[in-house]
Amino acid sequence: MLRRLAAPLTLCLVMAGCAGDSRVTLDFFQFKPEATETFDKLIAAFEREHPNIRVVQNHVPNAETAIRARLVRGDVPDVLALSGNSVFGELAEAGVFRDFSGYAGRQAINPAVQKVLDDLGTYRRGEVNGLPMCTAANPILYNKAIFDQHGVQPPKTWDELIAAAKRFQAAGVTPFYLTLKDAWTALPTFNSLAANLAPPDFFAGRTADRTTFAQAYPDVARRLAELFQYGQPDRFSRGYDEGNREFAQGKSAMYLQGTFAIPAIREAEPDFEIGAFTPMERLVTGVDVVITMPREPRRPRESQLFVDYLMSPEVIRAYTREQVSIPSLKDAESDDPTLQPLMPYYAAGKVTGYPDHHIPLAVGLERLVQQFLIDGDQRELLAELDSEWDKVMERRS
Amino acid sequence: MRRNWWLTALMAAGSLTVLVPLYFTVVTALKTPEELAGAGFDLPRNPAWGNFAEAWELTNYPQAALNSALITVGAVALTLLTNSLVAYAIARNFHRKLFKGLYFYFVSALFVPFPIIMLPVVKQTSLLGLDNQAGLILLYVVYGLAFNIFLYVGYIRSIPSSLEEAARVDGAGTWTVFWRVIFPLLAPMNATVGILTFLWAWNDFLLPLVVLSSPDAQTLPLVQYVFQSQFNTNHTVAFASYLMALAPVLLVYVFAQRWVISGVLRGSVKG
Amino acid sequence: MSRAYYWMVVPAFVLFFLLHTVPVLQGFYYSLTDYPGYGEHAFVGIRNYVNLFKDDRVLEAYLFTFQFAIVATILTNVIALAVAVGLNARIRFQTALRGIYFIPNVLAILIVGYIFNYLFANSVPAIFGGTNLLADPDLAWIGIVIVAVWQAVAFNIVIYLAGLQTIPEDLHEAAMIDGAGRWRRFWSVVFPLIAPFFTVNMVLSAKNFLQVFDHIVALTNGGPGSATTSVSLLIYTGGFQGGEYAYQTANAIVYFVIIVLVSIFQLRILQRREVTM
Repeated sequence: MLRRLAAPLTLCLVMAGCAGDSRVTLDFFQFKPEATETFDKLIAAFEREHPNIRVVQNHVPNAETAIRARLVRGDVPDVLALSGNSVFGELAEAGVFRDFSGYAGRQAINPAVQKVLDDLGTYRRGEVNGLPMCTAANPILYNKAIFDQHGVQPPKTWDELIAAAKRFQAAGVTPFYLTLKDAWTALPTFNSLAANLAPPDFFAGRTADRTTFAQAYPDVARRLAELFQYGQPDRFSRGYDEGNREFAQGKSAMYLQGTFAIPAIREAEPDFEIGAFTPMERLVTGVDVVITMPREPRRPRESQLFVDYLMSPEVIRAYTREQVSIPSLKDAESDDPTLQPLMPYYAAGKVTGYPDHHIPLAVGLERLVQQFLIDGDQRELLAELDSEWDKVMERRS
Repeated sequence: MRRNWWLTALMAAGSLTVLVPLYFTVVTALKTPEELAGAGFDLPRNPAWGNFAEAWELTNYPQAALNSALITVGAVALTLLTNSLVAYAIARNFHRKLFKGLYFYFVSALFVPFPIIMLPVVKQTSLLGLDNQAGLILLYVVYGLAFNIFLYVGYIRSIPSSLEEAARVDGAGTWTVFWRVIFPLLAPMNATVGILTFLWAWNDFLLPLVVLSSPDAQTLPLVQYVFQSQFNTNHTVAFASYLMALAPVLLVYVFAQRWVISGVLRGSVKG
Repeated sequence: MSRAYYWMVVPAFVLFFLLHTVPVLQGFYYSLTDYPGYGEHAFVGIRNYVNLFKDDRVLEAYLFTFQFAIVATILTNVIALAVAVGLNARIRFQTALRGIYFIPNVLAILIVGYIFNYLFANSVPAIFGGTNLLADPDLAWIGIVIVAVWQAVAFNIVIYLAGLQTIPEDLHEAAMIDGAGRWRRFWSVVFPLIAPFFTVNMVLSAKNFLQVFDHIVALTNGGPGSATTSVSLLIYTGGFQGGEYAYQTANAIVYFVIIVLVSIFQLRILQRREVTM
């Protein structure tokens, strides 16, 4: 009896969702809460061009968890915008995404950026399972007004950075606004340190058991702890969105976030110019947004149209202008004043990928780092990283 | 009769632990972000009703409230009609091995933690096209069997069968006997099951989180969760949203308090 | 007997089998594989179970969950019993007060959690000084206990009230004439009579607290670090986010066995006491 009732009920509910609407609906899953409004605008323009397609933007907290739950359901969204991280690599290896190797739109994409993405994992050798839309970098953001007021120049070395932090602290200015309630907000700094202080072939060595975190990461942990001393007292009670707002209101001189935080900070209308610098040798950069679609799309034509649209140079430029990121196009430059000082790193090839993209999520890096920043037990952090790594690898083999 | 005023005062003071967080929610929902500083228990200077409008828009309140209402009403109605029927068949045949076995089969599910079945259910509901509001109603009705059978069977067995026999003598079949004679007698237990199902379906978080696939199908608790990922929204708007999500069930409770409490009570004393 | 009885139970049985029993069996099967939830998978025997016992993170989640459940169960029952005795005494505004104490039971835990999250982060430090309870790995669990107890007490009060109302008035009076003090009267007269209600409350609260999930999602999301990661949360985040679905399903099966054992154990102990008292 229930089944008999359920079927028509389902039907009417599904119909109600698109009552009187003959358009094809595309489910567009995107992981970036900061970019909701930008995507809304882009979608509106797309829908004007294609009146027979309706795009529904779907963004949720913990996008990584949500996307796996969707996969379990066998319900891959029609078009996806994901972060170019280890989860993307794992999903690509599992054969979830389409192969774009023969895709014409790839001509405009910077091959170096494409390679960074492909290195995360592909289903078969030589496949291209995602299209990089833009990249982001991990500098340190700073409040130019506060720097000018205290006569501080953007630090170029680690020692200068610590000196600057001490100087601000002495002057009663919070050097860094920290948002450790959201554990991941320690990772941009972790990545900058790991990419510059640990050997470049560390992960290959770790996989082959030739080295350990305990051997290669003490400096990373030590400097991380050193830097995070210079935060405000309630650092473990504040989250990312509060941090963006408070930094915009001039509550700290510097902010340890990637360039992806800039639009959210600007939206809070700071009355100062946001600067960016890195005290490290090389700038950490990664694929900020990957566009992809399912291997077996439900609506191949419409999905492809939307992917074409998102990957067109004009849309990429429009997106990156608003979201303050660097287009993944050949010879792309950013004219954003905050990003300007970072461009020479790109030109000189002094950029490197995110080390944490090589660490499986099941290791729980962000929780371990958060714990470390609370208790300061460096040996424990490194031992846990090694043992979690080993356990995850054993479970996978 | 002499009243103990000291104890009354003590109990009233204790009830503040319940009322103060609710008061806090209301005043925070009516503040502007600038008024948030400090402990936050002071009254808003100039009630910011706009918070509610903003929360209404951000969470797409009408849609979420409609989904919650639809799922809850559907689950309650179908649960009452079906679970009581199943329980009746079991209760009246409890001496038969098959029905007794069925009883323990249903009730034993009470001990299975949801995480075990979470993933297979997610797969299955989507396979059957049930990853929507209707599917959720079906899941509440079916999973509710475990506890509701337990409640109904105990209650029905305490109803003397002489009433049914009288009806049967008049030529009524089993179905008629159930709907005409037994179902009306179940009113108190129906109230209990109805209230428990209502609270479960209305407040549930994990099941809708994993089962519902379309953003258009989200329920009120879910949109509060989604709300956490909105950037540059203020705490005041968030609180307005929380209040709007709590308000319907609070209102129902205020008007049906006596019923709700006695209903819950009957369920637990039987259990 | 009437054929109608079969028609009444068969559809329910079929649906229940399909939507509950089949998933349980599937879950058990997956726990013996390396299935990430999608794509291909292989049979790995009991490897997941073996690895579970080697995983200190899993062990910590069990320890946390038990610590939380024991403390929360005891606090909930002590407070609920005290409030119920108070409400059952000769006080004014009895109905209104009873109504107020029951409110938390009708509210969604997730939303209550968000409200308390804000209170802990902002109001509590502003009034009492100190920092956010939830940001301290050693104290965060107390915050979760507070919210869980706040919510669960409501339900237990009502059950104890029902128990207290079954006690005839003259028993009290007889004990009073005997010159028994308040405490003696409570322990020797009242408590034995409401023991069955105590059993129900203890078993139900423990079962619910062992499955704690919503509270933690709203308050700490398992942090700081992994200080407040309960078993349910670990199964959810590890299985979905970490992509180790099969492994965490094995965890869920172990968890199921433990919950059943705890419930049986509690029933045995508490019922034996009821009899001897």
